[in-house]
Amino acid sequence: MTDELPRADLLRTEHVRRYFKIGNTLSRRTLHAVDDVSFAIGEREIVALAGESGSGKSTIARMLAQVYRPTSGEVYFEGKPLSSMTSRRDRLRYSALVPMVFQDPFSSINPVFRVQHGVLRCLKLHRPSLSAAQRLEEAGRVFEVVGLNPDMLQRFPYELSGGQRQRVGFAQALAMRPKLILADEPVSMLDVSIRIGLLNLMAKLRDEEGVSILYITHDIASARYVADRLIVMYAGHIAETGPIEDVLTHPRHPYTQLLLSAVPDPRAPLSVAAETDRGEPPRVIDPAPGCLFRWRCPLAIDTCAQVTPVLAELRPGHDAACHVAQNSPEEVKAFT
Amino acid sequence: MLEVSGLSVDYILDRGNVRAVDDVSFTAGRGEFLGIVGESGCGKSTLLFAVAQLLAPPATVAAGTVTFEGTNLVGLTDEQLSAMRWRDMSLVMQSAMNALNPVKTIGAQFKDAMRAHGKFTGEEITARSAEVLKMVGIDPVHLRSYPFQLSGGMRQRSMIAMAMLFTPDLVIMDEPTSALDVVAQRSLMVQIKELQQAFGFAVIFVTHDMSLISHFSDRLLVMYAGQVAELGVTKEVFDRPLHPYTQGLLEAFPSIRGPRVPLKGIPGNPPDLSHVPSGCRFRPRCSYAIEKCAELEPDLYPMDGALVRCLRREDGSLAS
Repeated sequence: MTDELPRADLLRTEHVRRYFKIGNTLSRRTLHAVDDVSFAIGEREIVALAGESGSGKSTIARMLAQVYRPTSGEVYFEGKPLSSMTSRRDRLRYSALVPMVFQDPFSSINPVFRVQHGVLRCLKLHRPSLSAAQRLEEAGRVFEVVGLNPDMLQRFPYELSGGQRQRVGFAQALAMRPKLILADEPVSMLDVSIRIGLLNLMAKLRDEEGVSILYITHDIASARYVADRLIVMYAGHIAETGPIEDVLTHPRHPYTQLLLSAVPDPRAPLSVAAETDRGEPPRVIDPAPGCLFRWRCPLAIDTCAQVTPVLAELRPGHDAACHVAQNSPEEVKAFT
Repeated sequence: MLEVSGLSVDYILDRGNVRAVDDVSFTAGRGEFLGIVGESGCGKSTLLFAVAQLLAPPATVAAGTVTFEGTNLVGLTDEQLSAMRWRDMSLVMQSAMNALNPVKTIGAQFKDAMRAHGKFTGEEITARSAEVLKMVGIDPVHLRSYPFQLSGGMRQRSMIAMAMLFTPDLVIMDEPTSALDVVAQRSLMVQIKELQQAFGFAVIFVTHDMSLISHFSDRLLVMYAGQVAELGVTKEVFDRPLHPYTQGLLEAFPSIRGPRVPLKGIPGNPPDLSHVPSGCRFRPRCSYAIEKCAELEPDLYPMDGALVRCLRREDGSLAS
């Protein structure tokens, strides 16, 4: 019975926007980094957030990590709005439940301390009930979960390889008993041969520790390998979202189609769809209404220049924000 | 046209010499696209710098020759090299963001490059600069733009335009696409290939991402721990990888097509070049390793038209 109910949302954003003011007093302009974004992350779920650089992926992660406040809109965690968490206790609790793992394992660990330092500090701050001996024991446990030998707690960061350091990052996050880990490009700085190990670790954290992960990446193939759902961002908007296999096999938004055709895949014949694209960046500074992808879109119609498309469900659980796909699904199909 | 033979590069350090490139030989013919792949620290960038003779202390060429159009570049003075650099051989660096001068316009930087390697009038320089920018699909008005006014893809394309100023015979590229997203990356690769077909220059392309060059390179050189692990025709390396490391690399890439299969990657980490393992350097990470792999250092063996550094391929105990 309970299996048929939809999974409870762990975290939900509603119409979140984040604008940045740029320019000087003579030319005040607004950069719309994230514009009207709503999505949800369930329990025990890996959601991949993909898109080109500048599409707003990291801004979303920073809003969820409470580094930035949304310009408007609200983020709900376990049903509670983040803006209501004003006390130090609430904020500490939230940052323990939603920790972040960073892109660069070489600069995100303090080089002058042993690697246990970060893990123990997290434990001391967020789980004050533990004694010093229990903290050490817990640090050993999380190291084992992420595939590191507990002896490594005594090492210095320079003694570890990039892959091992990134595992330390996950161990630090895991020590706080998180519900959701925000992982911002956690494997992009690592060598190809060890990336898979980290992706397997993320799947293990989901399956065995019950942690949800927001996996931010520009690598669609790795997203498919590990994630349950995919959110494709373009110019601060969600272009398309849905179960990852469904999005990859039936992409409805022309941008998703362009993105997929550009993924290098030695097992596929060379596609020609991307060859005409000269990839101008979208205009996110003071944007006028209309679809921001229309300058690059082979299917753009008049409506696209006037009305900003909103997400609409086109297949079960699979939404796209595209006028053409919403009105005449046949045309999009012909394009793929 | 380019023949690298027995090239070794040492980093001379207080704690002893580290051999970053060990006895590497390869050739690149006119109009050929040679891909070099390997993990970080495998010596691929050092190899490129040695080919371009750009090594700075503590790195020095310890042995071997780099013969480019009949001249051995090793040991030439900067003056002698300067006559051929940029005119016959140019280099596109990894990050255009850092390789372009942020306080000079694109046009001014093109002018510097042309003045440094020849005598030209102002009009000639402007005309040629506009021409090469058009070749890479950028509007010549951007000659007056500063690097920060261009997108990452445009910056990288203008670097390639700069390398085209003298229509060289050889263009060396060190991960030129690694800072770009996939869409810009693909269009840049297609553009490089188009230019190559139009002008017939050879390309040596270094990357850590094997799948990126699968459709573009003619031959593929796989480096591991400073040595050539495998060298063969790209398509055949992808269809029938001979070295266990190449196999592992290919299996480390998830695909967006076909069934979702669990992947293992390659266990362990690449070796520290100051303490290379005895015998075969890949042995500690290799699932096919046998006893003699720890004792004997494998040579590069010819096999099915390719070269592979694996003892078990040589004696035939590992079937393909």
